[in-house]
Amino acid sequence: MNNQKRHMGLKAANRLSNTIIYIILIIISVIWLLPFIFIVFQSFRVESTWQVGYVIPQQWGLQNYINLWNSDFKRWYLNTFIIALASAVLVTVIQLCMSYTLSRFRFKARGPLMRFMLILGMFPGMLTMIILYRVLADLGLTQANAVPGLILVGVASSGMGYYVSKGFFDTIPKSLDEAARVDGATRFQVLYKIILPLAKPIVIYTILTAFMGPWGDFVFARYVAMGTSAGYNVAVGMYSWLTNDQISNWYTTFCAGGVIVALPVTILFLCLQKYYVEGVTGGAVKG
Amino acid sequence: MASVKLTGVKKIYDNKVVAVHDFDLDIKDKEFVVFVGPSGCGKSTTLRMIAGLEDISEGTVEIDGEVVNDLQPKDRGIAMVFQNYALYPHMSVYDNIAFSLRLSKVPEDVVYEKVTNAAEVLGITEYLMRKPRALSGGQRQRVAIGRAMVRDSKVFLMDEPLSNLDAKLRNQMRAEIILLRQKLDTTFIYVTHDQTEAMTLGDRIVIMKDGYIMQVGTPTEVFEMPNNLFVAGFIGAPQMNFINTKLINEGGKYYVTPFGVKLPVEGEKAEMLAAKKIQTRDIVLGVRPEHIRLAKAGEPAIKTKLLVNEMMGSEIHLHVSTEDETRIIVRTPTVDLSKEERNAMVAGHEMNITFEGKVMHFFDPESSENLLV
Repeated sequence: MNNQKRHMGLKAANRLSNTIIYIILIIISVIWLLPFIFIVFQSFRVESTWQVGYVIPQQWGLQNYINLWNSDFKRWYLNTFIIALASAVLVTVIQLCMSYTLSRFRFKARGPLMRFMLILGMFPGMLTMIILYRVLADLGLTQANAVPGLILVGVASSGMGYYVSKGFFDTIPKSLDEAARVDGATRFQVLYKIILPLAKPIVIYTILTAFMGPWGDFVFARYVAMGTSAGYNVAVGMYSWLTNDQISNWYTTFCAGGVIVALPVTILFLCLQKYYVEGVTGGAVKG
Repeated sequence: MASVKLTGVKKIYDNKVVAVHDFDLDIKDKEFVVFVGPSGCGKSTTLRMIAGLEDISEGTVEIDGEVVNDLQPKDRGIAMVFQNYALYPHMSVYDNIAFSLRLSKVPEDVVYEKVTNAAEVLGITEYLMRKPRALSGGQRQRVAIGRAMVRDSKVFLMDEPLSNLDAKLRNQMRAEIILLRQKLDTTFIYVTHDQTEAMTLGDRIVIMKDGYIMQVGTPTEVFEMPNNLFVAGFIGAPQMNFINTKLINEGGKYYVTPFGVKLPVEGEKAEMLAAKKIQTRDIVLGVRPEHIRLAKAGEPAIKTKLLVNEMMGSEIHLHVSTEDETRIIVRTPTVDLSKEERNAMVAGHEMNITFEGKVMHFFDPESSENLLV
């Protein structure tokens, strides 16, 4: 009897704590989501291009998106997309090759090289801004040519981000490489036929991070473009609408731009998120 | 079909550790050679050097008369089965077995024929579409063997293929490897730390310790005439008993005096000692547990006390202790003992034992070498 009472009591306590947890989570997610909902609503508001004291638009319309289409936004968006896509591809290839090399090959400089890159990575990238600008300027890759310049900067140091994928590769048994090599695979075939399919989550992670970096880049992109609209990416371009004399005309268009910028990243994440959790190494070796 | 020849093969790691010292071995075509030894003896390293997975620091490895030191594993004409199976987890069993064939651009219909043939031989046809993770250990090992089979290789290398299986499955797979060997009729090099596997599978056994070859010989040779104390102790289970004692030459007749009891050396062993003109000296006497028996009344006997009685079913292992507390293991077939005798064998039971004079082993206490080799 007593036991049953205690059991009921525990159940009630459990339910109470769950309810509290859910309420807190709901509040947090509302706080998180509100700005996004707010921006989406603003982007469809046509009665005024400036801030209003309410959230839900009185008049709905696509004028802000048409404005976007008629502005330099197309150019900036394309710039950003080219930079992000090129960086994602090149950085992924270089970083995975680097990680595989450091995980599987043994050579004299391996240890020192890894330590060197680790220490170098501890300095903020911003420190290199001035000298990088100088180099890019000498190569003619600034202002209107900022796109290849930014790709170059993003890709050049990509090998240094080897830690995460090397760590993952280290968990894939070496005997798989060896079995494949005995089976007739070259080192490169081992990488793309055996290791990469097994490392899918980490490949996806690398692609996403390599894409996201340049997609949201502001400081460096602004610096390299140096006020030339043709070299802007979306962040820099849209920021130019937020100056004191522009903001009242461009505020809602800015919101529409924000929605368009968020779209591909959201789609990318939705498509690829399942690979994050997918473990595929089961059954490779004993166990 | 190929011979394998290792000449002065040495493995020195970057940290100057020498894993294998001057390894010389001639493996004949279609021979089944087993490398056996405790962990760290260099057996796997040697196999991996033959496979091309490990650089050869010194010496040469020849396969079919061709030096392969600088060839990639895939160009050496070898197939290999790994201890942990090393199946590609993202591929089905079929794709696993077909992997090497597809890499060498074999037409898909030939691939199909070879894979299904191998699967049939190994009894894994019904699992062909499964992923390795959906298989049991024994099935996975069959897939690994199948993957090696379809390569039509000159040399079949196996690196402890049964160590991850449980005892029952291991016995079963051991028999299947013998059958496989008959079917494939190719050169096998097999690495194991298990002397039973070595004895049952090998045409010849290479016993290794600390990177050195201790002895190369047929299972009978290494069992009956071990080169040294290490081989004597390693081959045979339970392990051979070693007793520090004296060998006495009394006008051409030989005796040993373990624990002060004078026992005669008889038969071939006595002849061999005489042929080598061995004089009275200190020795380490080696006696296998199965060569120790209960002494009959009136026979010279060593007094012992029973410590542990291990009933193994068909045989009994008796751990006994002499008066100076030396432990000796005696192995006796269960049928040789009457029920009364068996019932009497409890801890503390006093037993008089004696050694068979025809099958004793004599080792030099300093060099550990067999005096008769």
